[in-house]
Parts: sequence; structure tokens; C-alpha cells
Amino acid sequence: MAGVVKAPGAFAITPHKVSVCILVNIYASPSQISVPFPFSSVSQHNRLGLYLLALTKSCDDILEPKLDQLINQLREIGGLLDHWLTDHVTSRLSSLSSPDDLFNFFNELRETLGGPDSGVMEDDQVILDPNSNLGMFLRRCILAFNLLTFEGICHLLTNIGIYCKEAISSCSSYELRRVDDSGNDFESLSEDENMDLNLVFKKINEEMEARKRATEQVSFHLHLPKELSTLVEDIEVSADPKSEHNDKGRESSSYASGELLRDVDPNGGVFLRTNWQIQGYLMEQADAIEKHGSSFTLNAFELTLRQLQKLAPELHRVHFLRYLNNLYHDDYFSALENLLRYFDYSAGTEGFDFVPPAGCNSFGRYEIALLCLGMMHFHFGHPKKALEVLTEAVRVSQQHSNDTCLAYTLAAMCNLLSEIGFSTTSGILGSPFSPMISVGTSLSVQQQLFVLLKGSLKRAESLKLKQLVAANHLAMAKFDLTHVQRPLLSFGPKTSMKLRTCPIIVCKELRSGYHLISEFCCEGSTMTADGAFSTAWLKNLQKPMGSLVLSQDNGSRNNYNPFLFFTQPSSIPGSVMQLVGSSYLHRATAWEIYGSAPLARANALVYATCFADASSSSDAALVHVKLIQHLAVFKGYKEAFAALKTAEEKFLCVSKSRILIMKLQLLHERALHRGHLKLAQQVCDELGVLASSVTAVDMELKTEASLRHARTLLAAKQFSQAAAVAHSLFCMCYKFNLQVESATVLLLLAEIHMKSGNAVVGLPYALASLSYCQTFNLDLLRASATLTLAELWLSLGSNHAKTALTLLHGAFPMILGHGGLELCARAYITEAKCYLSDPSFSVSKNPELVLDPLRQAADELQALEHHELMAEAFYLMAIVFDKLGQPEQREEAACSFKNHVMSLDHPHDVEDPIQSDTLLNA
Amino acid sequence: MEEDEAIHGDFYLLAKSYFDCREYRRAAHVLRDQTGKKSVFLRCYALYLAGEKRKEEEMIELEGPLGKSDAVNRELVSLERELATLCKNNTIDPFGLYLYGLVLKEKGNENLARKVLVESVNSYPWNWSAWSELQSLCTTVDILNGLNLSNHWMKEFFLASIYQELRMHNESLSKYENLQGMFTFSNYIQAQIAKARYSLREFEQVEVIFEDLLRNDPYRVEDMDTYSNVLYTKECFSALSYLAHRVIMTDKYRPESCCIIGNYYSLKGQHEKSVVYFRRALKLNKNYLSAWTLMGHEYVEMKNTPAAVDAYRRAVDINPRDYRAWYGLGQAYEMMGMPHYALHYFRKSVFFQPIDSRLWIAMAQCYESEQLHMLKEAIKCYKRAANCNDTEAIALHRLAMLHRELDQPEEAAFYYKKDLERMEAEEREGPNLVEALMFLATHYKTQKKFEEAEVYCTRLLDYTGPERETAKSLLRGMRIAQSGFPSMDVEHFHP
Repeated sequence: MAGVVKAPGAFAITPHKVSVCILVNIYASPSQISVPFPFSSVSQHNRLGLYLLALTKSCDDILEPKLDQLINQLREIGGLLDHWLTDHVTSRLSSLSSPDDLFNFFNELRETLGGPDSGVMEDDQVILDPNSNLGMFLRRCILAFNLLTFEGICHLLTNIGIYCKEAISSCSSYELRRVDDSGNDFESLSEDENMDLNLVFKKINEEMEARKRATEQVSFHLHLPKELSTLVEDIEVSADPKSEHNDKGRESSSYASGELLRDVDPNGGVFLRTNWQIQGYLMEQADAIEKHGSSFTLNAFELTLRQLQKLAPELHRVHFLRYLNNLYHDDYFSALENLLRYFDYSAGTEGFDFVPPAGCNSFGRYEIALLCLGMMHFHFGHPKKALEVLTEAVRVSQQHSNDTCLAYTLAAMCNLLSEIGFSTTSGILGSPFSPMISVGTSLSVQQQLFVLLKGSLKRAESLKLKQLVAANHLAMAKFDLTHVQRPLLSFGPKTSMKLRTCPIIVCKELRSGYHLISEFCCEGSTMTADGAFSTAWLKNLQKPMGSLVLSQDNGSRNNYNPFLFFTQPSSIPGSVMQLVGSSYLHRATAWEIYGSAPLARANALVYATCFADASSSSDAALVHVKLIQHLAVFKGYKEAFAALKTAEEKFLCVSKSRILIMKLQLLHERALHRGHLKLAQQVCDELGVLASSVTAVDMELKTEASLRHARTLLAAKQFSQAAAVAHSLFCMCYKFNLQVESATVLLLLAEIHMKSGNAVVGLPYALASLSYCQTFNLDLLRASATLTLAELWLSLGSNHAKTALTLLHGAFPMILGHGGLELCARAYITEAKCYLSDPSFSVSKNPELVLDPLRQAADELQALEHHELMAEAFYLMAIVFDKLGQPEQREEAACSFKNHVMSLDHPHDVEDPIQSDTLLNA
Repeated sequence: MEEDEAIHGDFYLLAKSYFDCREYRRAAHVLRDQTGKKSVFLRCYALYLAGEKRKEEEMIELEGPLGKSDAVNRELVSLERELATLCKNNTIDPFGLYLYGLVLKEKGNENLARKVLVESVNSYPWNWSAWSELQSLCTTVDILNGLNLSNHWMKEFFLASIYQELRMHNESLSKYENLQGMFTFSNYIQAQIAKARYSLREFEQVEVIFEDLLRNDPYRVEDMDTYSNVLYTKECFSALSYLAHRVIMTDKYRPESCCIIGNYYSLKGQHEKSVVYFRRALKLNKNYLSAWTLMGHEYVEMKNTPAAVDAYRRAVDINPRDYRAWYGLGQAYEMMGMPHYALHYFRKSVFFQPIDSRLWIAMAQCYESEQLHMLKEAIKCYKRAANCNDTEAIALHRLAMLHRELDQPEEAAFYYKKDLERMEAEEREGPNLVEALMFLATHYKTQKKFEEAEVYCTRLLDYTGPERETAKSLLRGMRIAQSGFPSMDVEHFHP
């Protein structure tokens, strides 16, 4: 009962196939002349042959063209002959008025085929080799016809009637563009006239390939209406984001529903598809859903699926698609319902991807159901539930010795543990029912995660699950990035040398992901599980590659794509591309943490340009976030907000997204710099609301929110409160082992104490932060901690100015090389202050030594609108000028100082569309 | 004029004869120019049936590689158009309205269909077909309450039937009982009462009713599957076989008959054969809910869990309120060692039938399973089970055991006591009784409530086995403890 699957690949005869048969008959009419009757030249004849070849190859596809589409294509192909051809086809079709006509027609077809031993072959005679492509097609058609019952023949007859009627009714007079260079190809063909047909076909095949590369017009999937095939791709590579991205959801839906609906429309010519075809369609759609996330419209696709389900009640895959669809639209109940339904019906044993296990146990594969269920709970933010389910999945897969599933489950668990953070999981893994009983309960969650990761990786390697191996390597890299591998029990200064994270390991892990793609390149044949449907590379060919990611400058749109040559020859599955892409994303993050801004940016850019089509929308959003943040830090807010606008249009449908969070972050930062403390607090509160959402607590966001809260308080000069917030935040970070964040918080604490005038209290914090930074190789943060340390020394008194200056100079290369505008400016100002407070330094002797950094700082701060620091810079400048005895310049500097202080104290409300609409939205 | 009518009458009669011979198109053709209301209805109805017949045929002919064709009744469009015009011109009779409602329902226009059907039954209440179409369109109480039905005794029948469908069994039962006062000899009402009582799990009365019914209506096949279910639960082998024999003589190809035979084989433990008959029942009626569920049960017995899951799932998809199928799904997954997964299904099941103790117990056992070991949740479930008339008295015993396991002696004693009371009332004996007595005796002893402890100990003395010896020693210990101080004194002063 379970998983009844009808024999795949049933070849049903349809009106379209009948017309193709008619054309084949014309092409290979049993005549004696080398160029049969209607054709005037060999090239003309060959052109039809090419076309027919394409048609027969695409006959296994999901959609068949209607007669008018066929006629249009014929017009294009047939040249002078088009009238004759179309007339012939239509008249032949309409002459089929009784079942007997059909019988006769197929009998005639049989004559076209040469027998296997048809004896004497005259030189010029055109006979179809029964083993050639066209011959096979004819034979399949004849066989399918012979298998039809009488009722079936009647239905075929009715369908042909409908097929013809539609073509006549629909106005078919529009012209298609010509394929300009198609003629040339054929001209060259016509040179060798007396070739054996088989040989010609071989040649034709090659030519077809070549031509396909050259043009966009004709492909094997001729039938796919052009507007559709481009639509899908347009969603991502749209030329003008402003106008087209807004309704991308609608477009994709029209693709999803419109096509299939037409396909199943009872009165519009029924073309029942084979199981394989529908399954292929469903697989394509599944990929699409995953890729586009919630921008894939729910209802239209749901409608299609429902229709499909009505037609194919035994095709349970539909339920799975419905599950996916609901999943990505956050409909928990329907998703759950459909997931359960799918596995109840199919026992996980349906679809292409099902390979009956060697042991062939008949118990179904319900462990996969558990795996999916676990991932679903994870997706909906129920980590505890997810972990429970995954635990059960581990047990059941062990029971049924389904190692593959086990490996995937472990990977899912790792993912869960590392994503959700460690706030909620403690206590579950520690329970005696955890899958890793051997691990025992004494280990911290991180250590358990590490053990899990190792185990999962080993399992995946031994099972040769390449993608999983790559994914595990990525997860490992992520782990290595933020966690010290050795037990954290003996954390202290003595063992600190051992306790560093190692960037080399991270890099190694990231690199090992690349083997994957090279393996897929050299053995592309193994990945053709989706057979005729893996047309990804074909699409790639036609796509105008390389959209600039954040191109608010509408000038230079480069059409050059560095990755093009890489993708072209082999059909790399989307999932592999996604994995490789995410390794770039990881690299970007790693460099961000390690503090190399240019490398982080470069990696993010690589991802955005090369992997944009393969990435899921959330990953794409993430990379945009990274790039925009980079802009904000290095180019100032104006550019960042402009880029944000572009990004917002691109990711319109995603409501509670990273983009929104980033927007709030940017707003907050700018408000702080401008001194709009009220606004800053407001934005900060909004962030807090996002963090305390109903779906599981996102630790990252939570820390972010309270960090910003502390910053706001600091800016408002409420030092004790700020210190309290930062302190509790540090406690939290410490508790959940968020060590990278701990470093940041410690630095903030040092700053708070410095600003409140307690430099002595601040020192240990800064030092602690430094040691954290060292442990985790956070070079940029370390530089900034050193800067704070220098500031602290400086504020201890002028006799420490030398120490401060030495410290500062040590950090300068890093700060100037990788630091953002604010950091650089701060460093410059501090340097100037050091010089000024140094009693042995005289301004009049060497004014530029002080003035130069101050000017630099003022310049850089301009973009950030950071009034406080600007005021400080100008104040120092004024002092210097005063000492130098240049009153004019002094007045100028003092005036700027005054302006900045004024605007800091009275933040006048600038017209700001972005911030006002955020607040409205929120 | 009269001649005209006579001629028209002749046309009508000819068409009716064709119609009765199932030559629908012929009938419609004869009536093509007739304008009388009766003729119009017959013509339209004949066309509708012709379309339906062709649809069924096409469904088989066109069974494509995907399993099902998209055959539709091709007459619907023209029928809808015609009936809509008639309706607009107010030249339509209640039967025409009924047909219009039917067509609208098929076309998916449920709201209008409901309105039209209500109009039809209000103007002609005795058309039960219209009522049943209306019923199929009322899936919730809210929809039902929104209907504007004029009062008539037919409405009572309708309400009773729809209440049953909506699982409001008590309301349904009272309606039927009222109706029985009016229609004393109605077999239909009797059968419906039996079904309602069956849903309320009053098996004894149901059996009596069905016996009575069969006396009055010996060749009845309708509703006999319910009777067979009762006989099955009561394990009446011979009665069930007698019933099966009887229905098979009456009509072999009724889904009910097949179901009864399936039940019989199931009771005999011949599950393969049972499945064969359930399959046959399903072939006759693909939406036969209980057959799917029962077949699921058989597959469970045969340890073919994927098939069982599939069968249950089909039942659930036909009627999502079928708690038995949900329960079956849960059971199947539990059998496969997936208790966490099974819980979801058990939850569904108890949601739809919160008064059935077996469901609660099954869920509790799931929580108790070694993999989950969520004893607190299990206790909650057992408590619910104990509250809803747990006939097998599992819940109380398990509750006591669990509390003992969780080291909550007070609660454990409470439930042991309750269990004990119950066993006394039902005059049951067995290891549970001894266990309860034993626990209570030791518990009260440690609580220093010696009188109670003594009562339980003396009762234990009636049983053979090691407990008896333990009881004896307990008693001895208590005596010593009770006379503790004096005896101590004696010992002190003697030497």
C-alpha cells in the first residue's frame, strides 16, 4: 500500500506527438530523390531535421507546445516552406476525423521506418534508421498507439480536435524574431551532401550544441514559452532593480501556477504527464522555493499543488512540496500537517532520490520524517523540540542502520547547536537520553558540539557524502572561529598560550570545502540524477551574467563574469554551488572577526557576484548586510543608506530580516554620532523587541541589543547605569561562552570607566579585553583595545603620555590598514593628545606633527557626522593654533568647535525619510 | 388543450421509462422541447446523470500515469446556465432547485449551493436528497446555525443526522428519541439511535436495539457494520458469524457486508483474509471511512506498519475528525519506536475524543516509554484517563505505580486506595490487588498509622505467597512497636 508508484516514464501519445510524427513523415518521406519533394535544398531539409531532433528530445518534458506555438516555430525554421509545412500539418491533423484514420496514419508511419535488414539501400533514398533518434521516436509513438485501448483512441481523437481548434481560435499571426545566424550554420552543413543520415545526425548534434551557445532563441526546450524561461531568471538578474523587483513575487507565481494550470486545465487540451515529468517539475519547484524563500508566493503555488494532487492522488511528493511551501511562509500548522501526511503516505520511499537500501527493509524510512520534522521545528524556532525529535531520529536511524540519515541528523544537530546558541540547549543534551551517551554529562555544550561535529564529519567521510563533508567542514570552521578547542576549564594566564584559536585551522577547514566543487566538476556524470531536468547550465548560458551587487551608480554595469567559464562546462547542482558559496560567506565572516576589512569585503563581493543565483535569499541578504556595514564604516552613512535602499528593494518580502536589523543598527549608530540620544534609545528599544521575539531567543541579537543600550547610556553620560548594563551583559556572555562578544563588552566597560573619569578602574578591563582578543586572534578589536588602553594611560596623567604613544604607535598599522573611519579618527586624535600632553613636546617646533592627524581626523569624521569627536578635534586644533599664535585659524577652528558642540546639544531634526518610515513601520 | 397535456404527458412517461432504464440521454432527448416543470426537471436530471455516468467511465479510461484523470461532468456548465436562468425567472420548482444546488456544489460554489438547497427544502421539505446534500455542505456548527430553515418535522431528521455528523452525539440522540415518539415504527430512527449510542459507547443497549431491528427488518444490510463492530468488541464469535452469513446471503457486494466479514476474520485472528475483505469494501466505496481504519488495525496486527500508516492516513484525510485513525497512527509509530513522533498523533486523537480513556492511556504509555521517560506528563494523561470511566482500570494502577516511582508516597497511597476500592467494587482479584494492599500496609506503617496498616495486613493474610509472610512480619513488627515502650521496659529490667 505504501508508496505506490506507477511505472515511471510511461510514454503517452498526445496530439503534439502526432504532429511531430507528421513532420517526421514529411522529413523522411519514402521517396527516391535525395532531396524529397517539398524541399528545395539540402540545407532546408537539414534545418527541418535539426528542428525535429530538438522536438523529439524535448518530448519528455513537462509541457508540450500547443499547435499555434508549433506553427510559429515552424515558420521560423521552415523559411520559404513554412506555409506549405503548416498547411500540411494542420490539414493532416484535421483530416483525422475517425478512429480508423488514426489507424491508417500510424500504419503509414511504419512505412517510413526502414527495417533492420531492409536489404539494398539505394544511395539517395532517405530511410529512417529505426535506431536513430527520430526512428526511435516514431517507434515509441507507434508502440504507444498500439497499446491504446479503443477508448484511449477516442480520447486521442477528441484531444486532437481540441488541439486544432485552439490553434485556429487563437490568433497566430505574430511574428517571432529571426535567428540571425542560424542560416550560417546550415550553409556550412550543406557542403557535404551525400552523407549518411546517421552521420548527419551526429554532426547535427554538435551543431545544435554550438548553435545553442551562440543564440538564445532555440534550445531543446523549445516549447517553454520564452517569457517564462526568462521570467524565472529575471527575478535575480533583473536589469533595473527599482522597477522589477517589486513584483517579483507575482512573477514567480505566475510561472509556478500559470503553466501547470494550463497544463491541467480540463478543457484546454489535456496532456497528462508522466510521473517522472511531474516529479522533475516538483524537484525544480522545491529548489525554487528554497532559493527564493518567502518571496515565492504561497497561494498560487498551493493552488497548483492542490490541482496536481487532485490529478495524481498517488503522487505523494506533492504533500512534501506543500510542506516546503508552508514552511517558507511560516505556516506552522499546515507545514506540520503536510509533512506528516507526506511521510504517512510514502514512508519516505518515494521519488527519484529513493534508492532502495541494500538490505531492503520494508519498514519505510520514517527516520527521514523525524529528521525533517526536527529541521522544521528548528526553522520555526523551537530548538528544544527540534532537539528532542532529532534525538529520536538518531535512535531510529541507528535502529534501522540508516547511516546516511544518521550522518545528516548529526549534522543537523550540530547546526542547531551552533545556530541557536547555548542558551536553551543546556539540560537537554545533558540528559541521559542524549544521543551521545558516551560523552557524559560533565561536558559543556560547546564540547558536546565539538564531539558531535567530529563524529558527524567522520561519518560523512566514511559514507562518502561529499556535500555533507563539505558542510561539516564549514561548521567546523565556524566552530574553530569562535571557540577554543581545548577545554576551557583551566582558563587563566598560565595556559593562555595553548588556548588560542587558530586561524590556520579555520582556513584549512574552509578550504577543504573546495574539494567538493572540483569533484563535481570532474565527475559531473554522477550528478545527473535529475536527468533531463538538470538544465541549470543551459539557463546559465542564456543569462546575462554579473549584476552588480549594490549598484546605485547606474553607470558601469559590467557584463563580464569571472565565474562564467567555471560554471559553463559542467552542470554543478545548485546545492553544491550554495555550499561553496557559503564557504565564501564564512570566509568573509572570518576575516571580519580577524579584522581584515579588505579581505572580508573581497570575499563578500565574490559571494555576491558569483553565487547570487545559487544562494538562498537569506544568505544573499546576509552578504548585502556585510557589504553595507562595510560601506558604513569606511565610507560613511550617506553611501551606506543609499546602498541600503537598493538592498531593501531587493529583499522586499522578508519582513523580520537581517536587513531590518542592520538598518536599525545603522540608524542607531548615526543617531549616537549625531547626538540624537532619544532617537538612539528608540531604535535601541526596537532592536530589543526584535531580540525578545517569540521565536527562539537569538543570542547574537540579544547581546547586540544590550550592547547598544549600554552605548546609548554611555553617550547620555549615565555612567553607572551604562556600567551596570554592560556588566550584566558580560555576565551573560560569560555564562553562554560568547567569548568574542565578551571581548567587545570588556572594551566597552573600559571605555565607560574612562569616560566617567575612573581610568584606573578601566585599565584592567582593557587589559582583559586585550587578552581575549589575543586568544581569539581578533586583531582589529585588539588594535582598538590598545587604543583604548592608550587613552586610559593618557588620562592617568601627562607623565604617561609616552607609554600611551608607544602603545598607539604599535597599533597604528592595524588601525590605519583595516580600521574604519571612526577608529582612525580616534587614533589620530589620541595621537595628537599624546603629543600635546607630553611636556617635552613643543608645539611651535613641530606643529604639523599635531595638526596633521587632527585634520585627518576631522576629514574622516565628516562622513560619519560624529559631532563629539569632531568637536574634540577642532578644540585641539584651536588650542594648537592658539599656541602657534595664529588667531585667524584659531577662530575658524573654534567656530567649527562651537558648531559641533551646538549641534550635539541641540540635535536639530534633519529631514530623514529612512528613519521616519522605520519608526512608522515599527 | 387537454390533448396537448396528454401528449406532453406521453412524452413525459416515455422519458421516465427511458430514465428508469438508465438511458439518460435518450430520456433527455425525448424531453428536449418540453417546458413543463416536471419535464424540465427530468430532462436536466437525466442530463446530469448522463454526465456523471460518462465521468465515471472516463475516470477509468483516462487513468493516466499519475493515477487519476481529471474527468469532469461535462454537462455541468450547460446545466448551471439553464438552471440559473430558470431560477432568475422564478420558474423553477423545489426539485429544480435541488438539482441546481447539486450542480453548484459540484462546481465548488458552496455558499450559493447552500442557499439554493435551503430554498428547496423550505418549499418542499420531503426531499431527503436535498437535505443530505445540504448536510454535506454544513461542516461546522456555525454554518449550521447560519441556515435559515423553516420549521418542519423533516428539519428534526436533518438536525439529528447532522448532529451525529458533527459528533454532538447527545443532542443527536435526544432528537432521535423525540422523533421516535412520532414515528414509533421507524427502522431508520431505531438504527440511528443505535449508531448514536454506539458513538457514546453504550454497547449493551446498542446490541439490544440491533437485535430488535433485525427481527423487524431481517434483510437489512444498512448500518449492520456498526452492529458487527459491537459484536466484535464484545467478542461474540457466533453472533458475528451469523450476521456475516446473513448479510452475504442478502447482498454480497455491499461495502457493509464486506466490512462485517472483515470484522469476523479479524476476530478470528485471520488478518490476511480480513484485509482482503476490507479491501473489497473499499473497492466498492473508496470513502468508506471505517473500513480504512479497520484495515489499518489489521495491518498493525500483521506488523506491516507502513501499510497501516497509509491506511490510517487515508481515513484521516477522508474525515479529519476520526479519532480512531489518529489513534491508530500513533500506535503504529509507537510500534516503530518513535514515541515522540507518535505523540503528535495521540494528541490529535484525544483532541477529537477527550472522553475515551483508552486514548489517554495510550498517550500516557507513550510518555512513559523508555525513550521519552516523561513521567510527569504520563501522570497527567493517566489522570485524564481515570476521570473518563476507565473500564480496564489501568490508569489508577499506573498512577499509583508512577507516583511510587517518583517517590511521592502520599499520592501513590491515594491512588492505590482508589484502585483497591474499585477492585473491591468489581470483585476483581489478582496481583494488582496484592500489590496495592502491600504498598498500603507498608505505607501506613511508616506513617505510624498502625490501625490502617493492620487492616491491610490482615487482608493480605488471605493470600498465599511471599506477601503473606511479609504481612505477618509487618504485623509482628507493628505489635512490637505499638507495645514498644512496655516491652522495652521489660527487656531493660529483666537482666
